[in-house]
Amino acid sequence: MTKENVQGAGEEEQQAQSKKALKKQQKEAEKAAKKAEKQAKLAAEQQETDEDDFAKDRYGICPMVQSQQKLDRALVRVQDLTPEKAEQQIWVRARIHTSRAKGKQCFLVLRHQQFTVQALLAVGDRASKQMVKFAANLTKESIIDVEAVVKKVEQKIESCSQQDVELHVERIFVISQSEPRLPLQLEDAVRPEGEGDEEGRATVNQDTRLDNRVIDLRTTTSQAIFRLQSGVCQLFRDTLINKGFVEIQTPKIISAASEGGANVFTVSYFKTSAYLAQSPQLYKQMCICADFDKVFCVGPVFRAEDSNTHRHLTEFVGLDIEMAFNYHYHEVIDSITDTMVQIFKGLRDRFQTEIQTVNKQYPSEPFKFLEPTLRLEYKEGVAMLRAAGVEMGDEEDLSTPNEKLLGRLVKEKYDTDFYVLDKYPLAVRPFYTMPDPNNPKYSNSYDMFMRGEEILSGAQRVHDAQLLTERAMHHGIDLEKIKAYIDSFRYGAPPHAGGGIGLERVTMLYLGLHNVRQTSMFPRDPKRLTP
Amino acid sequence: MPLYKVKPVSPGDIKIDLPTCMYKLPNVHAQGTNCDEHALQNGEVDPALRALEERQDEVLRRLYELRATVDGLAKTVTTPDADLDATTLSRGPAESVFRGTADLDSLLGKDLGALRDIVINANPACPPLSLLVLHSLLCQRYQVLSSVHVHSSVSAVPPPLLSCLGPRHIDSYARQRFQLGFTLIWKDVSKLEMKFNTQSMCPIQGEANVARFLFRLLGAEPQDPVAATQMDCWIDTAVFQLAEGGSKERATVLRSLNAALGRSPWLLGEEFSLADIVSACCVLRAGQSTSAPANVQRWLKSCQNLGHFDCVYSLLQ
Repeated sequence: MTKENVQGAGEEEQQAQSKKALKKQQKEAEKAAKKAEKQAKLAAEQQETDEDDFAKDRYGICPMVQSQQKLDRALVRVQDLTPEKAEQQIWVRARIHTSRAKGKQCFLVLRHQQFTVQALLAVGDRASKQMVKFAANLTKESIIDVEAVVKKVEQKIESCSQQDVELHVERIFVISQSEPRLPLQLEDAVRPEGEGDEEGRATVNQDTRLDNRVIDLRTTTSQAIFRLQSGVCQLFRDTLINKGFVEIQTPKIISAASEGGANVFTVSYFKTSAYLAQSPQLYKQMCICADFDKVFCVGPVFRAEDSNTHRHLTEFVGLDIEMAFNYHYHEVIDSITDTMVQIFKGLRDRFQTEIQTVNKQYPSEPFKFLEPTLRLEYKEGVAMLRAAGVEMGDEEDLSTPNEKLLGRLVKEKYDTDFYVLDKYPLAVRPFYTMPDPNNPKYSNSYDMFMRGEEILSGAQRVHDAQLLTERAMHHGIDLEKIKAYIDSFRYGAPPHAGGGIGLERVTMLYLGLHNVRQTSMFPRDPKRLTP
Repeated sequence: MPLYKVKPVSPGDIKIDLPTCMYKLPNVHAQGTNCDEHALQNGEVDPALRALEERQDEVLRRLYELRATVDGLAKTVTTPDADLDATTLSRGPAESVFRGTADLDSLLGKDLGALRDIVINANPACPPLSLLVLHSLLCQRYQVLSSVHVHSSVSAVPPPLLSCLGPRHIDSYARQRFQLGFTLIWKDVSKLEMKFNTQSMCPIQGEANVARFLFRLLGAEPQDPVAATQMDCWIDTAVFQLAEGGSKERATVLRSLNAALGRSPWLLGEEFSLADIVSACCVLRAGQSTSAPANVQRWLKSCQNLGHFDCVYSLLQ
C-alpha cells in the first residue's frame, strides 16, 4: 500500500511541481510582456521626439554670451509692454519669475526690475511638445530672451504689473541659467510680515536677506526703496546747487579724531596709524574759512559705535551742509529746512509709484510736513513734555523716548512729521557750539526730527580762535590734538553754521520703515562685514 | 514711707464770680501769665501759635463771606423769576470791546514759560475771513507771533493767502519774546479746526466757534446775558443762513440786517462786537456787498473804516 501512496505522492509532487512551474512561467510571461510594452513605448516616444520636433531651432540654451556677434536686435523692456504694442512681434529679455505647465500649455511670468508680464507657450503649429516641456523645466531666475507677439487680454491679469497684455511666445532661449535651488524665494521676500504668519507661508528674516543680498535686492520692494534713495541724493544735490552751493570732497583718512577719541576706527598708515573720519565737520569749516561760503559734501562716514540698534550703522552715507551767514544763524536753518522740504516735495511728486510699492509690503502713514518748516524752541518742547506728564530739568538733554513722545505731541498739534527744535542747552552740545548771547545756559544749536527720530544735529560754530580754545579747555579736550583746527580760524573766519543728515536714516524715516538696514544696500554694523 | 493723707476739704476748682466794678491787678503768684489758657513756662506765647490763630480767624472769616455769597447766588439761581426782572436790566452800552481785560492764564491754562501757540488748520478754498480780522485785533492787544504754513496735503496755495497775516515780525526769530502765537496752516481739511493744548483741550471746529474763542481772548465778551445771546444769535444767522443758505435765505437775512442797522450803528447797539465781524465777513464773502440794502452798505463802510478789515479786502480782490 505504501508503494501506492508513494506513487500517489510522486504523482502529486509532479502535479504540484507542474503547478508551480506553471505559475512561474505565467509570471515571467507577464514580466516579459510588460518589458516589451515599455520598450515599444520608448521606441514610439523616441520616434515621436525625433519625428515631431519641428520647433527644434526655436528654443534652447544659448552658448555663453562672449560677444561672439553684434546682433542688431532691439529688446523691449517689460515696462513698455502696453496695449499700444498689440500684435507686434518683439524680443524681450527678462528673468523667469515663475513657470507653470498645464498639459499642452506653459504659463511663464517674466520679470524685469519691478515689472512683470505673463507669457504663454502652447503646443501648436509654432511650438512643439518638447519646446513646452523645455520651457516648463527652466529654473526660476534664469535670464531668457523671448521672441513673442504681444496680445491684448480681455480680463486684467491682476497678479502682474502689466495687466492689459500677454505674450504669446514664438522663440525662447536661455542666456544665463540659474541654479535650481535658490537660498530664498522672491515671493516670500516680498510678503508682508503679518500675512505670512496667518496663512502658514514663509517670510524671510533679515539676516537671510542680508546674507543673500544679491537676490534680495531683486525684489520689487528693494528696487523701489533704492530708487527712492537715489532720488533723495539727487534732489539734495540739485536743490543745493540751485541755491549756489559748491560740492566738495573731504578726506576720510585723518590724523586726529575730531570730536572725541572713542568712536573712531583706526587704520595702519605706513609706519604710524591714522583714523577713518567720523564726520566731515572740520574740513567743511576749513572750506568756509577758505571763502567757499556755501559747501556741501556727500560721502561715507565711519562711526565705531558698538550700538546694535535699528538705526545705527558703522558706515553710512553722510549728506553734510555748511554755510556762512550774514547776521543770524537762522539764515542757515531756513536754508537747510528749505532743502529738506524740496526733497520731500520732490519725493511726493515724482516717486509715488515707488512709495506705493514699498507700502504694499511695509504699510505706513504718508509723510507730512509744513512749508515753511515748523521751528519750536527747546523750552517749548520741554513745556509740551511737562504738560504731558514728563518730568525733566530745563537743561537736561532729550532721551530717545522723550524725543519720540515730543514727536507725537508735535504731530498731534501741528500735524507734521518734520520739525526743528532750536536753542538747545549748552551743556549737552559739543565744544565748538556757539553759546547763546542772551542766555549763557543755552546755545545756538538745533536738531531736526523726522517721525520723532533725530536726523540732523547742527549749530552755529564758534569762529573765534580764542573762544574756541576756551570752550575746548572747558570740555577737557587736548589742545594739541586740535591745533590745526583752531589755527584755521586765526586768519579771519566768517560766522557760519551747518549740519548733516544720514541718507539711509532719512530714507528709512520718510518711508516709515523700521530698520536702517533695509535702506542700506550692503549694511555695516558691529556684527556684519560682508557682503 | 507713705505719709498720712487728708482728703481735700474743698474742691480746688470753685468758680468765683468776680465783681466787674473793681479793677483787676495782675496775678502776683504766677509770673507773667495772661488770661489765655495756653502760656509757656517762661510766660511768653509762641509766635507760631499766634500766627496760626490769626490764620484760623482769617480763614473762618472768608468762609463766612463765601457762604453768604453762595447763599445769595443760590437764591438767584433757584428763583430767577422772583429775584431777577429782565425788564429792569440796563440796555445801556455794554463794556467797551477793546478796553476790557482778559486773564490769559485762565483762558489758556498756566503759563509754562514758553510761547502759547494757537494753531488753526484752514482750507485754502475757503479762507476764514473773520479770523483774520480777529488776528488783527489780537495784534493790537498782545504781542503776537504770526506765521503761515502750507501743509503737504495741499500742493499749491495762491500767494495772497501766504501773506494774509501781514508781514513777518522783525523779532520773529526769538519766539520767547511773544505772549501769543497765531499759526495758520493751509491744509486739506473739510472743516476749519483750532488746536491749542492737545493734552487738555479738544480741538475746536468751525469758523464761528473759533471766532468766539478768540474773541474771548480780547476780554471783550458782552457781560450781560441778553447782549451775549443776541451776539450768538447774529453769529449763527450769519454762518448758517447767510453763508450756507440759498438765495432766498440770504435775502431774508440781509433784510433783517438792514432793519437792525436802521436802529443803531452796530448790530448790538452802540458798540462794535463779534456779531458785526462775523456778519460783515459773511456778507463780503457772499459777494453781495454792492447789491445790499443801504443800511448794510453804510455799516460795511464803517467796518472798513475801523482798519481791521484791510486783510479781508485785500483777499477778496
